[in-house]
Amino acid sequence: MGGCALAAPIGAVVVVLGHPLNAKGGSLLVKLTTLAALPIGEAPRLFQVVTGRRDAWTQFPANAIGAVFLRRVGEREVTAFNASCPHLGCAVEFQAARDAFHCPCHDSEFGKSGEVRGPSPSLRGLDRLRVEIREPDEVWVHFENFKTGIAQQIPTA
Amino acid sequence: MKFLRDWLDHRTGYRKLTFEALYENIPGGARWRYVWGSTLTFAIVVQFITGVALMFGYSAGALSAWESVFYLETQVPGGWILRGIHHWTAQIMVPLLILHLMQVVIDGAYRAPRELNFWFGLGLLGLTLALSLTGYLLPWDQKGYWATKVATNLLAAVPWIGGSLQRLVIGGADYGHQTLTRFFALHVGVLPALLIALIIGHIALFRRHGITPKRPLRGPDAAFWPDQVLRDAIACVAVAGAVLALVWWRHGAELTAPANPAENYAAARPDWYFMALFQLLKFQDWFERNLPGGGLLWCVIIIPTAVATVLLMMSLIGRWKVGHVLNLVLLWAGLATYSVLTAMAYWHDLYDPKHAPQFRTAVAQANRDAARVKVLAARTGVPPEGALALLRDDAQTQAPRLFAAKCASCHSYGGRDGLGLALKDKQTAAELQDWGSREWLRRLMDPQQIVQAHVWGGTAFVTPPEGEERGTMADYVLEEVSKFTPEQKAMLDRVILAVSAEAQLPAQAEVDTRDAGLIEQGRKEFGESGLNCADCHKFRGEGSGKGPDLTGWGSREWTIGIINNPADKKYYGRRNDRMPAYGVKGELDPRQIGMLTDWLRGDAK
Repeated sequence: MGGCALAAPIGAVVVVLGHPLNAKGGSLLVKLTTLAALPIGEAPRLFQVVTGRRDAWTQFPANAIGAVFLRRVGEREVTAFNASCPHLGCAVEFQAARDAFHCPCHDSEFGKSGEVRGPSPSLRGLDRLRVEIREPDEVWVHFENFKTGIAQQIPTA
Repeated sequence: MKFLRDWLDHRTGYRKLTFEALYENIPGGARWRYVWGSTLTFAIVVQFITGVALMFGYSAGALSAWESVFYLETQVPGGWILRGIHHWTAQIMVPLLILHLMQVVIDGAYRAPRELNFWFGLGLLGLTLALSLTGYLLPWDQKGYWATKVATNLLAAVPWIGGSLQRLVIGGADYGHQTLTRFFALHVGVLPALLIALIIGHIALFRRHGITPKRPLRGPDAAFWPDQVLRDAIACVAVAGAVLALVWWRHGAELTAPANPAENYAAARPDWYFMALFQLLKFQDWFERNLPGGGLLWCVIIIPTAVATVLLMMSLIGRWKVGHVLNLVLLWAGLATYSVLTAMAYWHDLYDPKHAPQFRTAVAQANRDAARVKVLAARTGVPPEGALALLRDDAQTQAPRLFAAKCASCHSYGGRDGLGLALKDKQTAAELQDWGSREWLRRLMDPQQIVQAHVWGGTAFVTPPEGEERGTMADYVLEEVSKFTPEQKAMLDRVILAVSAEAQLPAQAEVDTRDAGLIEQGRKEFGESGLNCADCHKFRGEGSGKGPDLTGWGSREWTIGIINNPADKKYYGRRNDRMPAYGVKGELDPRQIGMLTDWLRGDAK
């Protein structure tokens, strides 16, 4: 009997506390820069992802929500990496001296093409993002975050 | 009085309770080594009192958490002391917990029939660490945000349910408002409730079984009151004194810059007692290669679970003498490993030559941002968009970063990259720290100096690529100015004063006013035959337009214009060297160009 009486409040608690399990994330198409700003062959450069975003009850105006490394590898070809380390989510830095990405938390290291380099805690290379070049020379990126700590690149949502 | 006490006792039985509490027998008498439990109880009471008081001023939300803590720290009298006490008591609880655990294991106080109480104690240890972890995020500053992000990503390593667990804790797929509301609910609701339940059980069972004395006994048995109570009280005063000393010394608890998801805080570290685990994660790949199951699983699940299991089992195997000895060995070995890992983590950050300079730079940068945002927030108040917006629109914060990212591959600022680091590339364009000043122009007009890298030495104007000719201006300085008579030199310097006055630099306002006469003379001499500046430059409505128009040179408008498009005919036109048209190409937006300009000219306050 007592259990039955508690069923409704407990049910409500479980439903409310469990709602983040169904939260939808997904990728976001954002314009980061133009090809002119990315000379071919230069070291990867960091761009902030600035976009409007909904966080629960707040609709944020343009706000930085992440960062992306861009590198121009061809006339109309750009590679994009999420700056978040696939190991545990710190933000990696590009170190010109080592010609590599380095994570300041647990010392993972990645080559210019994003591949894991040397003995690194990360199980996969940097997370590559889809890039679209739009006329005349705009660089758009499908920005999303991925699950950390695993060998596969799986979106968080 | 006696009547009242009798009345109360009849209804509550308080005399018996007090008697039981105060006259518990301590075999062998009072000793200092028994004080740790009392100091922890004291610390928890302090945390409850200060914690509830902090709740009166705290607002859990991504746009209000940092802001409310900042307000408490700087505007509410005594706020920094309150938060400081809460912070430093939490810090000091960890060594107290370790000492308590050591005393219990060494003295064999975990043996039957006290196993259950030992487990309660370990549960309390876990809850305290969970409280520390959840509390670390609540100020929503860079340090807490980035360190806790790693911690919640670790949750994903839990087999099967890890991903769901992570979402439940952070309240969605990403950090945001609901991460804070959930951490707040855990920190002030769920975890303290569990803590109280376990403490009641812990103390009740302790009273039931009595103290386990250290053998051999030192003297005759004694009651808890008064000798042990005195010792406990002194220890609690010592703890309180240590906390207050730390609060005073560190001026409360640190509050770094507001959390910024787009800007990594490279020096983000967990609190010191988690640094051993932090260090362990750097060896993840070793576990990955040498053991089955995955490195993260070993570091985050298997090893911590094994440590917890060993601790839980201690009370069972401790009933045999050999088991007790084994427990002691494990305890000391565990503490040694923990200390070594912690020391390694700090050595790597602070002294490892490969890593420490980077770490120090990140700390310095974070300290600068934190100091700056507090100045801005105190000056203008925080806008509804949150404190982060203050930094985002602040020239002093953003311009050095923009300079380092966009300008420092050719230019320098005080010989460095704007953020204070050495230049990464060979300097090929002018030093800009004193942009617009007389000194800047004097260097340019000096035949000895113009060829130096920090003036024009690296530009195509002075050192043209093969097959091209030197620039007209460089020719002029190197071939004509070098032959100037003293009169011409004096005239040139007056023209320099006149052109530099166009910049209307705040730092030069005083001398410009003082030299108004010389400046007026210089303006007239600009086009005179002794110098011939007007042959190439426009200036105040006169002269020809081949070279850059020097009307308003170095002013805010002029500087914005040249960053926007140096190849505009008002500036270098087709003679422009390699300077990109940042505005026209969309590499910098007008707001960013404005901030760079304000910072270069010293307009940014």
